[in-house]
Amino acid sequence: MNTLWKSTPMRMALALVALFWVVSLLSLGGSYLVIRQSLEDAISADLEQNMAGFRAAPSAGALAALISAEAAATDPDERILSYLAPDGRHYGNALIARSNDGFRILRKNTGRAPSDETYLILSATLHGGQLSLATSLSRIGDLRETFVNILLLSLLPTMVIALGFGVLIARRSAQRLKAVEGTLDRLTRGDLSARTPVLSGWSDDISTIGTSVDRMAKAQQASVSALKQVSADIAHDLKTPIQRVAMLLRQLSGTPDLGPKAQVLAEKAAEETDGIVATFQSLLQIAQIEGGSPKARFQPVDLAALAQTFTEVYEPAAEDSQHQLVLELPKSGPTIVNGDKGLLGQVFANLIENALRHTPPGSRIDITIARTADQVKLTVADNGPGVPAEERLNVLRRLYRLEQSRTTPGNGLGLSLVSVIADLHDAKLELASNAPGLAVSLTFTATGPGAGAGKAD
Amino acid sequence: MHQPINKTKAALEKGSPATAFGDVMKILVIEDDATTGDYIAHGLREEGHTVDLVPDGRDGLIRATTADYDVLVIDRMLPGLDGMSIVKTLRGAKNRTPVLFLTSLGGVDDRIDGLNAGADDYLVKPFAFGELSARVAALARRPKLKDEETTLQAGDLTMDLIRRKVTRNDTEIDLLPREFALLEHLLRRKGRVQTRTMLLEAVWDISFDPQTNVVETHISRLRAKVDKPFESELIKTVRGAGYRIES
Repeated sequence: MNTLWKSTPMRMALALVALFWVVSLLSLGGSYLVIRQSLEDAISADLEQNMAGFRAAPSAGALAALISAEAAATDPDERILSYLAPDGRHYGNALIARSNDGFRILRKNTGRAPSDETYLILSATLHGGQLSLATSLSRIGDLRETFVNILLLSLLPTMVIALGFGVLIARRSAQRLKAVEGTLDRLTRGDLSARTPVLSGWSDDISTIGTSVDRMAKAQQASVSALKQVSADIAHDLKTPIQRVAMLLRQLSGTPDLGPKAQVLAEKAAEETDGIVATFQSLLQIAQIEGGSPKARFQPVDLAALAQTFTEVYEPAAEDSQHQLVLELPKSGPTIVNGDKGLLGQVFANLIENALRHTPPGSRIDITIARTADQVKLTVADNGPGVPAEERLNVLRRLYRLEQSRTTPGNGLGLSLVSVIADLHDAKLELASNAPGLAVSLTFTATGPGAGAGKAD
Repeated sequence: MHQPINKTKAALEKGSPATAFGDVMKILVIEDDATTGDYIAHGLREEGHTVDLVPDGRDGLIRATTADYDVLVIDRMLPGLDGMSIVKTLRGAKNRTPVLFLTSLGGVDDRIDGLNAGADDYLVKPFAFGELSARVAALARRPKLKDEETTLQAGDLTMDLIRRKVTRNDTEIDLLPREFALLEHLLRRKGRVQTRTMLLEAVWDISFDPQTNVVETHISRLRAKVDKPFESELIKTVRGAGYRIES
């Protein structure tokens, strides 16, 4: 709900409501003032005209008779006639106390109405007495009430309708923005097949953005796949000549009538081609795994057993380079995931080799298998120099090597291979700091007995 | 197409590491790439085997069914008829001649596909000749393995498979389970070269070649217990190929 108030359509609806309020207040207030003024003018003119009529009376007695006659037919709530004769007697339908001549406003409790009534009074001295004529200003009060009612009747529904509409549009925009945002997120994470879902309802600027995002993603996907195709084609075209060169060099190094010097050179060249072959093998393997074909032969694989095998395989090598391999397996529960055993083995091999290669003698390498309700997590962590946070995504890139490890053996494909194998298995790959050192973990969805209910594969 | 038969034993007598790979065999190589074909044929002939090299799949199948070979080396991608079809056809016709499959770089599924089709072993190009030679020898000898034995012997070393004990010169050698398995594997194939990848597959069930030479480190551990305290060396290194225990 908090985000609803922050959304653009909601803010615009609120601003429009406020603007409408201000404009209506100004125009209605202005009209009220103008109408009131003219009403007051009309009342005073009326009073003066009335007064002029009474001035025509020839004597105080005649005036008193006139007043009494008219007062009898006049409702004092509307109009008051009051004449204080020179002899002190009072004529009229109500008493208005003696005051200065001229106009004044009087608030008077009639005793009948629940609220005070306001009168405009005109007093004048006639034949020694004072005549006061008063007209109720209740019409002006009615006018104000009418204006307030107009204001409320027009503004309140407007506000409710505008706000309701604003919330509706904001909700809808939020949904659409969320869809576009989700697509952008997936694209950022490297899923170039992500597209904005079809947005329901009328098309607007957001759906236009969605279409543009899709167009961009499509173009990017096309260029990436073209690039991948080119690299795969290059690798494919080069692999046969490389195979031949490797075999020819081996054949050459085994030729008996070759001088010892030449034999050594031929052997060295053959060894170099082994490195090239290994790089090619990894590149082609990555391309093939990305194609997803190994998925067809997935079978249950016990990660704990695999971890045990590979720890054992690398134990003597680690000992030779003065590294300590520490294996930790969960005490209970199966650690079975659905996958390709050969490729998962390669994950262990690459991660352990990586740790052995990039940490100084005396370092400790922890190989851990942990299990939660429906996940199995494999972690290989070392206490070596680690990988800086900003480089952690880079090391997954093909052929990328950190400045600090340019001189160590390896082709920069080990972690790339781990990354594509993780993707193939829908496992979450994480590179984190082991404070100090690097911790690489893969989180798999567990299968088989003990796995979370409802997780059918 | 039909290569002249080369039966000279000169290579065997020269003392090159390959000479010890075993008996003379009749081998059919079906490989369309001339460089690879020559490399294989040349190497196998040097070892004294009889080799027929055929570059076409259909011709290869005809030859494999009409002549009696000890081992077939078949490339996966061939003109005429591909390697998989050849193996399937042979197995369908109850031809049980051991087959070593050759495949190009980069195949992840090729290994399993090949083995499923009925091939007995599998090798990725480019390979060291020692690897091919050791695997061909292993295939030819495969049925001769004796699994029912309860003790294995080589020189003054005895392995008791029931009590899981190893003694040399009446001295008991304490081995870890995997060291025992490694030694057992070599003893059962006494006199034959076992390559690094063959050992990885057999002892650890690992079908890819790690960049670190892990097998070497395990062999050196085993040697430290089996060979070092004694006068003679039982586990021999065969240069460019692998390891072997002398018979």
